[in-house]
Amino acid sequence: MTSAALTPVRCGFVPLIDCALPVIAHEQGFAEQQGLALELVREASWAAIRDKVAFGVLDAAHLLAGIPLACAVGAARAPQVGMLALMALGRGGNSITVSSALYQRMVEADPVAMAGPRAQSAQALRKVIDADRAAGHPPLSFATVFPVSSHNFELRYWLASAGIDPDLDLNLGIIAPPRMVESLALGHIDGYCVGEPWGQRAVAKGVGAIIATKSDLFPAAPEKVLGVRTAWAEQQGDVAEKLIRAFVLAAQWADDPDNRETLAALLAREDYLGQSDAAILASLRGEVILRAGEPATVLPGPHVFYHWQATFPWLSHGHWLMAQMQRWGLWSGDLAERARIVSSVYRPDLYRRAVAPLGIPLPVEDMRVEGGHLQPFQSPAEGGGMIDLGPDTFMDGRLFDPARSPV
Amino acid sequence: MDQNLSILVIDEDPDRAAIVERGLVESGYTRVAKIGTTLNLVSRIQALAPDVIIIDLENPDRDTLEQMFQVSRAIQRPIAMFVGQSDGDMIRASVEAGVSAYVVDGLRSERIKPIVEMAISRFEAFDALRRERDEAQAKLADRKTIEKAKGLLMKTKGLDEEQAYAALRRTAMQQNRRLVDIAHSVIIAFQMDI
Repeated sequence: MTSAALTPVRCGFVPLIDCALPVIAHEQGFAEQQGLALELVREASWAAIRDKVAFGVLDAAHLLAGIPLACAVGAARAPQVGMLALMALGRGGNSITVSSALYQRMVEADPVAMAGPRAQSAQALRKVIDADRAAGHPPLSFATVFPVSSHNFELRYWLASAGIDPDLDLNLGIIAPPRMVESLALGHIDGYCVGEPWGQRAVAKGVGAIIATKSDLFPAAPEKVLGVRTAWAEQQGDVAEKLIRAFVLAAQWADDPDNRETLAALLAREDYLGQSDAAILASLRGEVILRAGEPATVLPGPHVFYHWQATFPWLSHGHWLMAQMQRWGLWSGDLAERARIVSSVYRPDLYRRAVAPLGIPLPVEDMRVEGGHLQPFQSPAEGGGMIDLGPDTFMDGRLFDPARSPV
Repeated sequence: MDQNLSILVIDEDPDRAAIVERGLVESGYTRVAKIGTTLNLVSRIQALAPDVIIIDLENPDRDTLEQMFQVSRAIQRPIAMFVGQSDGDMIRASVEAGVSAYVVDGLRSERIKPIVEMAISRFEAFDALRRERDEAQAKLADRKTIEKAKGLLMKTKGLDEEQAYAALRRTAMQQNRRLVDIAHSVIIAFQMDI
């Protein structure tokens, strides 16, 4: 196909490992194969990328899954513009890091909890907070990357599991990922939840320890999506479908173990992440060094781009995110209203139509009860047979039923 | 009365921050402060207590500002809105110019509008200056390339300066290429080891 026949699409991304699909769709020719001239634009903040999609400066973007939902309802003061989450961009990647000093205090406060499953470390933090309060010390400060980020919701879920109130028992702020490690080193914050490679960076610099990862908290948690304006998708329906297909093909490529070194080298480039490819490769493989001087721990199901339906836009993901917004006071509404909003943003029907020519396995249902599976499992596929799904246990063992669970 | 509004300009580029600050001061706003990158952004902002914050759209600190929408113990003076919610045309113009603005609770949009418009025009002026500078630098580099090619032709072909320049220009016209591209090819050809 000549370049004159290609449809231009401007797609923004934030330099994190999970921007892999737009990068691969562009670099490995999947976008061109679908008739698209994909132009990638690097953005430094979630607020900037959100505003550029909302006001038409970008056609599409690698977005936090909470952003299209927040825009739909104007939550957290997002500009109220109709957006779609066309597909998910993979699973995994986040971790909770605390300063070396706080880590030491947590081990001393509750050695049993710190030696148990990683998610239990919140119990130790609770003891530190109680001791600080009794002694009249100022509260600890933690940071995440954006109010409607999965990082914020995961950190809050973890804190609340030990009875810590994220809004009363500590200061919880927002810091851009590239500034996290320095903020931790200088003592402005005591801990953070962020995507890789920023957890590993604190360990490598000897200023912090990783105490829990996404796979310890809620491995199936929604992370990033391909976001577009609803009006754009309505005017450019065929372009949106081509974009979905190009990204799904990119996801298949990215999950092939033979391609992971090439993927790491591409992401490492100065115009993408601008980081060392060795660190990116270790993170892609889930080989994470939790504490300085320790050997790498291999996490189950680290960055997954395609298998376990990692690209499917589950309605239940939208419901879970809205439930977290409700839990933390960013939005309020009943289940019927929630269902209406989620169905206006998550459009599995569009995704199914777009990927039909690829003949890939798809789930029968558009939403499911999240949680309860410690191991990979199977579920009925559309048209017969089974699909594979990944572990989805919540750290507290609860289930999230999108039709019934209010929060 | 609006001249009493306190305005904070946050920009990693000190030159652009200075241009915006000067524009605001010249329009009669006397309470204008500016800061660059800081790790203590929220506490700095709370110490300065601005009514309006002008920040470049690309600044990573914008995500930190978004937390000030929340009413929590950590935030003593919540920001009411990102200006995007007020006026469709203004926000489109400001996003395109790379300006974003945040405003504390209770300020009416007509009071903010002249401030944002001033910032937009100053950002655009700064962009134009930067473009001119880049173009001037590119032109200077082009001229150096042409001079070098001319020198090589003069030395190896025994041409005088005018003849060397004419040869370059003739080739460029025949091949429908830019003079600097031909000059570049000449330099590369002379660098080759044959």
